[in-house]
Amino acid sequence: MQARRQWITTHEWMVQPTAQTEWIEGQGILIWMAEVFSALGMGLYLVSLFLNNWWGMLAGWFIIVLLKLPFHFFYLGRPWRFWRAIPPFTNAWKTSWIARGMFFTSVFAGLAMIQLITTYLLDHNMVAESLVPGVLLLDWAMRILAGFFALLTGIYCGFVMSYCKAIPFWNTGLLPIVFVIMGLADGLALIMGVGLITGGVDFHAIEVASQWALIINAILITTYLINASYQSATAEYSVMQLIMGKAAKAFWIGVILLGIAVPLTISLLSIFVLEFSPVLMILAVISHTIGAFALKYCVLKVGIYRPIISRVPVY
Amino acid sequence: MKWGMVIDLTKCMRCHGCVAACRVEHFLPLRITWVKLIAYETDEGGVLDVTTFPVRCNQCKEAPCVDVCPTGASKQRADGIVEIEADKCIGCRYCVIACPYQNRTFLSKDKDPGYFPGYPQTRFEIKGKKLYPHQRGTTTKCNFCAEKIDYGLANGLTVGIDRDATPACVNTCQARALTFGDLDDPNSNISRLIVERKGLQLQQILGTDPSVYYVDGKIGGKDNKAPESAMTGSHIQHLSSVEARAKKVFPGSKKN
Repeated sequence: MQARRQWITTHEWMVQPTAQTEWIEGQGILIWMAEVFSALGMGLYLVSLFLNNWWGMLAGWFIIVLLKLPFHFFYLGRPWRFWRAIPPFTNAWKTSWIARGMFFTSVFAGLAMIQLITTYLLDHNMVAESLVPGVLLLDWAMRILAGFFALLTGIYCGFVMSYCKAIPFWNTGLLPIVFVIMGLADGLALIMGVGLITGGVDFHAIEVASQWALIINAILITTYLINASYQSATAEYSVMQLIMGKAAKAFWIGVILLGIAVPLTISLLSIFVLEFSPVLMILAVISHTIGAFALKYCVLKVGIYRPIISRVPVY
Repeated sequence: MKWGMVIDLTKCMRCHGCVAACRVEHFLPLRITWVKLIAYETDEGGVLDVTTFPVRCNQCKEAPCVDVCPTGASKQRADGIVEIEADKCIGCRYCVIACPYQNRTFLSKDKDPGYFPGYPQTRFEIKGKKLYPHQRGTTTKCNFCAEKIDYGLANGLTVGIDRDATPACVNTCQARALTFGDLDDPNSNISRLIVERKGLQLQQILGTDPSVYYVDGKIGGKDNKAPESAMTGSHIQHLSSVEARAKKVFPGSKKN
């Protein structure tokens, strides 16, 4: 009975630090998924672009277009109005990171599709000799533009959150950087998975790059948490929730153990063996991907509002 | 002109009249409230106290909800009122996340089960939905009864004084704890209250510049406390201790 009457009774809502729920609980799980697939898709596409792996680029494009966008779409309260957020350079576009993100993602989807087609045609000698220079030029232009918009697609998710002044744990310029670097590390892990299926991937080079990405990630996450704990009492409370509160299991097991420690250990082991073990590689890919899910879960879960009553001075 | 509100915490008597008036005025769905009452207890050196804060959309001058809206559905009128154009809202809930005061609510299906869940809509409900067609899947919030203000201005009424041009919560407040008026007019009731009683905005640190101000003996300093002679039985919640409050209510009780 108390729960049913709750919305009309006096309560202590927002007096203590209160966690956001719209983007992580109930239907908010869709946002979590969309955020994860943004990072995975962006990372895989960019890494594949750098390594010139067509299948990796295709997989990255699919992750963005067929996983990230639908999760965002179905989260909306009025999904069929989604087009209202896309037109660029409107008044909303000047300040809203979601509007910008919708535009970046849409442009990426279009440009990357053209790039995938031109690269495929060139790789399989399906272009008439006279058209090759033109198609080659188009392919390079699309690679540069699609890569740029892929980066924007990955980074805007961080800016969406870091813009929120009300949630001090998110309100830092480090967040977009953490998301991008973690996304690139995710991409390095996923390209190994792609390479196991399609071949044509230099596993040794990827392992070396992966080691550095994971070490940088570990340093970045540590810096982020230390920085947040100095920022304000509410942000410090978020950090405490992360390392020993309600998100501790997801953080220690998901982010630290599976997301960083296991892939890094496997990667370091590869220094001492000449032959790569596919089993270990698959384990590293799965472990790293779970880490990507855990990272976004943790960040969203400990998004805690500054209490609104100024007379609770400690926050 | 910029509309604003001053809430006198020394007068608020926690009757929930503003909450009810708002619900009735706007035919709010069953599980939505635009005005809320926050209560908290403090214990300062053994002196217990309970304070209530009526909260509603602060109609911030630098509104984060307007900035983050991807479609322009949330916008600020020239008079400072932040309104939501429901037909443009896509329900992304970014504004709900960005509002530092958590005064926006996403109207999901479970929040609108009808006034009598499981029964057909009453004529009152049907009429209400025509007058205020709150759209499921969009965000809602207090609009300072903008429609009443517009009506009042169009008919030569004085906003904040004439009932037909004043927000429903202000009209209803029996303790007269709410004052509504023009923040840009230095001679308006609320401008004077803010200056004389040291009006305080919530979360000033965020730079949102809310249009809702609070005055309270505790916030503005001890000098601002309402004289005890002016207090009614309803105001005793703001006496400094639970014991003093109990003595006021039960003067002859042996337990005191």
